[in-house]
Amino acid sequence: MNCDDVRMTLRDYQEGRLPTAALGEIRAHLEACPDCTHVDAVEQELTSALEHRLPQYPASLALKRRIAAQWKVSTPKRSGWSWWRPSLIPAFAFVALVLVGAPIVYYERVAFRDANATSAIVGEAVNDHLRVLSSQRPLEIESGGLHQVKPWFEGRLDFAPSVSFEGDIDFPLKGGAVGYFLDRKAAVLVYAHRLHPISLFVFRASGLHWPTKDGGTLTTQERGFNVVMWRQSSLGYALVSDVDRRALASLAAKLQSMP
Amino acid sequence: MSTVANEALAYVDALHNLARHLTGNQADAEDLVQETYARALKAEHQFTPGTNLKAWLFRILRNTFVSLYRRRRRDPTVGGLDTVDAYSQGATDEAWLRDDLELGRLRKVVAEEIEAALMMLSEEARTVILLDLEGLTEVQVSDVLGCPVGTVKSRLSRARAALRLSLRDYAR
Repeated sequence: MNCDDVRMTLRDYQEGRLPTAALGEIRAHLEACPDCTHVDAVEQELTSALEHRLPQYPASLALKRRIAAQWKVSTPKRSGWSWWRPSLIPAFAFVALVLVGAPIVYYERVAFRDANATSAIVGEAVNDHLRVLSSQRPLEIESGGLHQVKPWFEGRLDFAPSVSFEGDIDFPLKGGAVGYFLDRKAAVLVYAHRLHPISLFVFRASGLHWPTKDGGTLTTQERGFNVVMWRQSSLGYALVSDVDRRALASLAAKLQSMP
Repeated sequence: MSTVANEALAYVDALHNLARHLTGNQADAEDLVQETYARALKAEHQFTPGTNLKAWLFRILRNTFVSLYRRRRRDPTVGGLDTVDAYSQGATDEAWLRDDLELGRLRKVVAEEIEAALMMLSEEARTVILLDLEGLTEVQVSDVLGCPVGTVKSRLSRARAALRLSLRDYAR
C-alpha cells in the first residue's frame, strides 16, 4: 500500500470502517511514513473542526410545524369499510349531539352575537366621543343656535340630521362637526351640562346590527361613560358623556320628544 | 400519521442543515426541505421498509436541489444558490496530496472561516463532506448520490483535500 492508497483510505481508517487486515496495513504504513502520519493528524483536525466549529442549522419551529401539518393532513388512504367502521360510532355520537345541542348552541350564538354587536356599537360611540374630546378643534361650527348649526351640515353629509332640540340652560348646544361612526359619516353635535361635554352622534342606521330589536332606547355604560342609543326611522342616535345617567337620560328625552 | 412519517420528521434538522449549506441561505433551505418532504410524501409507497429512511430522504433532498439548481442556472435572473466550483478546479491538481496544512493554523480556524471555505466548494463536494459528517456510511452516501461506493470514496477524499486547500487561504 503506497502513500496515495493510504491517504485515500484515511477517513475509513479513522472511522474504523476497514477490515482488520486493512487496518493493520495502514497502521504499519503510518508508523513508517512521517508524511502520512502528518496528513493523518491534519485529517483528524479537519474532522474535529467540521464537527465542532462548522455552524449547524436546525430547522425552525415554524418549518417543523408546517411539515408536520403537511404530513398529518395527508394520512395514508384506507379503503371502504376499514375506513368507515371506526368512524361510524363517533359519527353517530356526533349526530346525536348535534340534534340535542344545536338549538342550545344556536340560541347561545345568537345571544353571543347580539352581545358582541352591542358591545361593538357602544364601544364605537365611546371612542368617537373620546376623539371629540381629544381633538384640537372639536367643533367645526361654533353654536349660535341650532338654526345656525343644522344648515352648516348641508352638503357635508349624505343625509339630514334630524335634531330639533336647540339646547336650553341645562344643556346648551356648543356646536357641531362632521365625524365618522364606524364606516359612515356622522353629524356630531356637542351639548354641555355644567362643565361636562356631551356628544350626540347622528348617522344612517341601515346595515348596522342594532342593539335593540325595535330600535328602542338602550341605556348602558362603557368605560365609565354613560351611553344612550336609539333609532328614529332610518337614523341612529348615540349620546355619550361622563355626566350621570339621569342627566343623560333627561337630555335623551328632550331630543326624542322633539322630532 | 404513519410510522414512516413519524420517523421522517425526526430527520428534519439534519435535512435542513444540509439544505442550508447547499443553498447558502435560510429561505431557499426552508423551501428545499419543505419540497423534499412534499416529494417524500408523494413517494412514500416507494420507500422500502427496513432500508435507511434518512438516506432515502437525503437522496430526495439532493435530487430536488439539483433540479432546482439546474433550473435556476438556466434562469440568469435568479440567484441565491452557490455556483462556485472550486472543487473541480482544485481536485484534479494532485499537488494537494503533498501540501500539508499546518495543524496549528487549522486549529485556529473559526466557524465563519470553515463555513466560508466549505461554501467555496462545489455542491457535490459539499454534499459528500456533509453526508459523511452526518454519519452516513459510504454505501449510504453512494445510494444518495447514485454512484458506486468507490466513487464516493474518491470524491470524499478529493472534497476534503479541496476543503483543506480552501481553508489554508482563510487560516493565514
